[in-house]
Amino acid sequence: MIAVWTPLQMEGVYQLPGESVKQIMEEAVTRKFVHEDSSHVIALCGVVEACLLHLLKRRAAGFLRTDKIAALFTKVGKTYDVAGEICKTVQDLLQQVDGRRPQPVGQESLKRQSSATSKAPSLTPQAIKHIWVRTALIERVLDKIVQYIVDNCSKYYEKEALLADPVCGPILACLLVGMCALEYTKLKTADHFWTDPSADELVQRHRIHGAHSRQDSPSKRPALGIRKRQSSGNSSEDRFAASARDYVESLHQNSRTHLLYGKNNVLVQPKDDMEAIPGYLSLHQSADSLTLKWTPNQLMNGTLGDSDLEKSIYWDYALTVPFSQVVCLHCHQRQKGGTLVLVSQDGIQRPPLHFPPGGHLLAFLSCLENGLLPRGQLEPPLWTQQGKGKVFPKLRKRNSHNRSVDLEEMPVAEMAADYVFRIIYPGHRHENITINYHHLAASRSASVDDDEEEEDKLHAMLSMICSRNLTDPKRMKEIGDMMETQGFRTGLLPWQLEPCSQGSSCLSCSTSSSPHDLPSGCSCIHDRTPLKMLCESMKRQIVSRAFYGWLAYCRHLSTVRVHLSALVNHTIIPPDKPTNAAEGLTQEGWSKYQKDKKNYKELELLRRVYYGGVQHEIRKEVWPFLLGHYKFGMTKKEMDRVDEEIMLQYKKVMAEWKACETIVKLREKESQPVTKFSSGSSIDSHVQRLIHRDSTISNDVFISVEEMDSVPQEPKVPAGPSLAGGSVDVPTVVAVLEQQPSVEFDSPDSGLPSSRNYSVTSGILSSIDDGQSVCFEDGMEEEGGTDPQRPGAEQAQKTKSLESDSSVTEESLCSLVESRAPAEETLSVCSAAYTIEMLDTVALNLHRIDKDVQRCDRNYWYFTAEKLEKLRNIMCSYVWEHLDVGYVQGMCDLLAPLMVILDKDELAYSCFSHLMKRMSQNFPNGGAMDTHFANMRSLIQILDSELFELMHQNGDYTHFYFCYRWFLLDFKRELLYEDVFAVWEVIWAAKHISSEHFVLFIALALVELYREIIRDNNMDFTDIIKFFNEMAEHHNAQEILQIARDLVCRVQTLIENK
Amino acid sequence: MRMAGGERSGGGSTGAAECREHLFKILVIGELGVGKTSIIKRYVHQLFSQHYRATIGVDFALKVLNWDNNTLVRLQLWDIAGQERFGNMTRVYYKEAVGALVVFDVTRGSTFDAVCKWKHDLDSKVLLPNGNPVPAVLLANKCDQKKDGGQNLSSMDQFCKDGGFVGWFETSAKDNINIDEATRFLVEHILANLKTFPSEENDVGHIKLDPDPLKAESRSQCC
Repeated sequence: MIAVWTPLQMEGVYQLPGESVKQIMEEAVTRKFVHEDSSHVIALCGVVEACLLHLLKRRAAGFLRTDKIAALFTKVGKTYDVAGEICKTVQDLLQQVDGRRPQPVGQESLKRQSSATSKAPSLTPQAIKHIWVRTALIERVLDKIVQYIVDNCSKYYEKEALLADPVCGPILACLLVGMCALEYTKLKTADHFWTDPSADELVQRHRIHGAHSRQDSPSKRPALGIRKRQSSGNSSEDRFAASARDYVESLHQNSRTHLLYGKNNVLVQPKDDMEAIPGYLSLHQSADSLTLKWTPNQLMNGTLGDSDLEKSIYWDYALTVPFSQVVCLHCHQRQKGGTLVLVSQDGIQRPPLHFPPGGHLLAFLSCLENGLLPRGQLEPPLWTQQGKGKVFPKLRKRNSHNRSVDLEEMPVAEMAADYVFRIIYPGHRHENITINYHHLAASRSASVDDDEEEEDKLHAMLSMICSRNLTDPKRMKEIGDMMETQGFRTGLLPWQLEPCSQGSSCLSCSTSSSPHDLPSGCSCIHDRTPLKMLCESMKRQIVSRAFYGWLAYCRHLSTVRVHLSALVNHTIIPPDKPTNAAEGLTQEGWSKYQKDKKNYKELELLRRVYYGGVQHEIRKEVWPFLLGHYKFGMTKKEMDRVDEEIMLQYKKVMAEWKACETIVKLREKESQPVTKFSSGSSIDSHVQRLIHRDSTISNDVFISVEEMDSVPQEPKVPAGPSLAGGSVDVPTVVAVLEQQPSVEFDSPDSGLPSSRNYSVTSGILSSIDDGQSVCFEDGMEEEGGTDPQRPGAEQAQKTKSLESDSSVTEESLCSLVESRAPAEETLSVCSAAYTIEMLDTVALNLHRIDKDVQRCDRNYWYFTAEKLEKLRNIMCSYVWEHLDVGYVQGMCDLLAPLMVILDKDELAYSCFSHLMKRMSQNFPNGGAMDTHFANMRSLIQILDSELFELMHQNGDYTHFYFCYRWFLLDFKRELLYEDVFAVWEVIWAAKHISSEHFVLFIALALVELYREIIRDNNMDFTDIIKFFNEMAEHHNAQEILQIARDLVCRVQTLIENK
Repeated sequence: MRMAGGERSGGGSTGAAECREHLFKILVIGELGVGKTSIIKRYVHQLFSQHYRATIGVDFALKVLNWDNNTLVRLQLWDIAGQERFGNMTRVYYKEAVGALVVFDVTRGSTFDAVCKWKHDLDSKVLLPNGNPVPAVLLANKCDQKKDGGQNLSSMDQFCKDGGFVGWFETSAKDNINIDEATRFLVEHILANLKTFPSEENDVGHIKLDPDPLKAESRSQCC
């Protein structure tokens, strides 16, 4: 992932910083912040450093020093004060780091502190390595410094140097400008850095361990009632899955453990009879223990085959060795790499770890040595050699350091290439351990895991007993601790308990490193008896609880089944009968239908759409059928008639609202000078009035209007007698409108409802003065040939003269206007009289539409200004016909994909109207949203009770508000355009095939797809909203559809089996 | 590949001793198209783009402030859709908020009228643990496009006083005017609220959201 750069790659010189820059920017956007210790930042620092070092003048004073970057910065700092400040900051930082460590160290060894992260808490080793560049970056001056260096490059660089290059140098400086504008943070402390990963990271992590846990995902989950709950067998499965997940999580550095060492392709031979396999070796340090892990590559890659057997085998091979159990290490250095054998207290050798050649074994040992500090150490210690770092101790005499007789059996070779290190804890009793050597060699590969698991089980059991107060908790706790330290911490395995129960358990007492003082007599045996009784009683309790739980569950299920049965169609239409529908509705299939409309079954077509979607090329033809614009089986003639009707209707509606819009625009023009005038003084009175009023402004009505309106308020104009007249009129209206700049999207829009108080009346008054009727008629407009702008301007002037007394007269004027409103109807088409209330509503809606249209998917190629204009026309037409609901945000999102596919105004208008029959119910006045939420609740409760519980516990978001956008827009914002098409047509077809509420199952599928991530990260409401917002447009739509179809089928089966 | 993540060493916990960290949930509300999302993007990413889509439901942004040497402030900015009339849902969105930015568009009077509606909605749905209304700052956005001489200053001050706003700013997300100042002002008020009422409940919210700074400290020492 991290761009690697060497000075030799001149070609890639400025591509690669670009790469890092891109990654950091991505991180900044996706994570909303960039952490100082982000690997991208480190990579960028490395690349910039390399660029700076490229062909640096040798002769320049001080450049012969070892740390050339330091020298460069210091030198630049002398002449450039920004760099000077950075020098000072860096020196302070370095001093702080030095101060923390006991012995003074030089720059050189500073760099090699790779393993001692924890000891220099404020800076990571990488941070120290690139401290100069990094500090400049984080202080956000790196661009300035580089620019300065580029400007003065002749001073520092050879002619051929990258920074001296007239192109590359400035490019580098420019690239860094953006980086220096970012905010870097360490405030998201290390803890957050690891525990608050982005949605992508969460999904990625899940993918790794998901390889194992996925298999018991949807079907084996304790969920749907169909499943005979094999809870006993299942729980261990789940446990295993959970432990696999924890395992993968533990390989990452986190707040509790530091990763000291990681090396891939370390070979281990897990069994005698098989080849050694490569894997990832890592060394983890937590507060009180040091653990070695080795994970087969197959698990790391998450590329396992599907067979459960294969998976479980690899999980068996994985090694986890706590170093508290290891007493010595055998190292063998060979030509082809080093081999390390760990020997534990019980004398058992772990399978050998084969390191690839190249000093990796030594590196590991050096990390290990650091990790053991301060309590433990290697005996003999590694030697530190000047310039080379850690080396193997030079020991001529074999085992001279090894005073322990027990080790004589060790196969230590004569060659200096073989070493035996002991791990000792000075001051601890560990030194006295007697090691029993059973040379079992590598036969017990993964037994450590069992060991730990056993320990966990026992611990859990004991704490449960204690918490239940079955006996004195304090005493039990002590016993628990004792049991643990005696029986297990020393590495005794369950199978060892049997043969050595008397003798060696006492031995283990004596060897225990436990800080507790043990009672003088060994009490191991006595403690087992009460324990057994406790287990028995626990067992009984658990069984009875389980039974009552099950009973309640069954009762609950039967009630919910009734409820659910309304959500799905009861006949299951299978994907494979009569033919396999997986390939969907193809061009071929469609033309077959067109040739033989009478005999083709609608259901069969829909079945294909439901299971396989529609081929993109024919979507344009098929969608009108799916949405109900055409009916299946219509002849060409009938279809043409439908089209014609829609065409006429659309034109009529367009003419209507465009006419109204003209008046609205006129009003706005009037209002502007007035608002300007009143902005200062009127705000207060304005506010006074508003402050006590109801909160929904859209319904606010000018009071005087309410009192006296006798004008018909119906927004819908009854269809005129002559439609033909309408179609004649339209072009002229459009022509008039085109002259008006105000139609443009970016027209700043004046105060709409606020203007009603003053400007409306005065504006209309002036139009009366002009002899125009308030009742706007486009025909008149055409005849008069009046430019709507000119009267506007005139009126504006007149309005100004009226302003002085407008406040006094406004009400009376208004009533005057209204009384004259129902004017004579000369032309048939647009003779609606607009009430002021209606004009306000239209204005408000037009404004909202404009706001949304101009920002609707403008990143998608289809939406040019021209198409957005069309989008606006369709939207306005729809809203005009539904002024009672009005425009609600989100409607544009629903129309946009239809436009992309249908690409024809009238058709899109018609299909959108059909689509909105269902969708408008989701908008605030519809009430369907609450139903969706309630249904989601029931479904999750039945299908995934575990997740439901979690949602309930973590702040209770079983209101499911995080699904709001999903339902409002039919997942349009969650998916990429191409996927929206695919999902939408399945939703439409599903109504006839499986469920009218298919959206519920898609929502459910989204939740289920990420359920492990939701569960494992214990997400609360904020987390889940954030997660799904970040995941938007990153989903696999086909996978989700498949899960959704399966879920429907599950519910159908559930009901069928009632 | 992601395993590389594991090899990053991240011991960079903060060195400063009594480092206090706060997480504040701040709501950004106001009519549609007044520029809420733009303000947030400008504030968090120092970017302005013409290309935001209408927010549906709610969106998030996080911003971290170096308040002073031993105080870190993490702001969780909730960008709430301007036409969010889904009553109970805003109630849930508002939950546990400790501050609010109420935005209107100076070029559109109607958005100013709606300010009171939003403020009223806010106060009726969420209160500080001590029962006071959450501090709200009024932002007169798009001041770069303002046509006339500006709001009457004293009347705006009076309006804030009457409407229960702690202050107001003329802002522009496009030209980056006053946005940092406005949020800073708000955070000052939030912090002052914390000091005045260091009640039990007040802290509970934080413990849940914040890592215990003491714990973090002991961790870095013990290793």
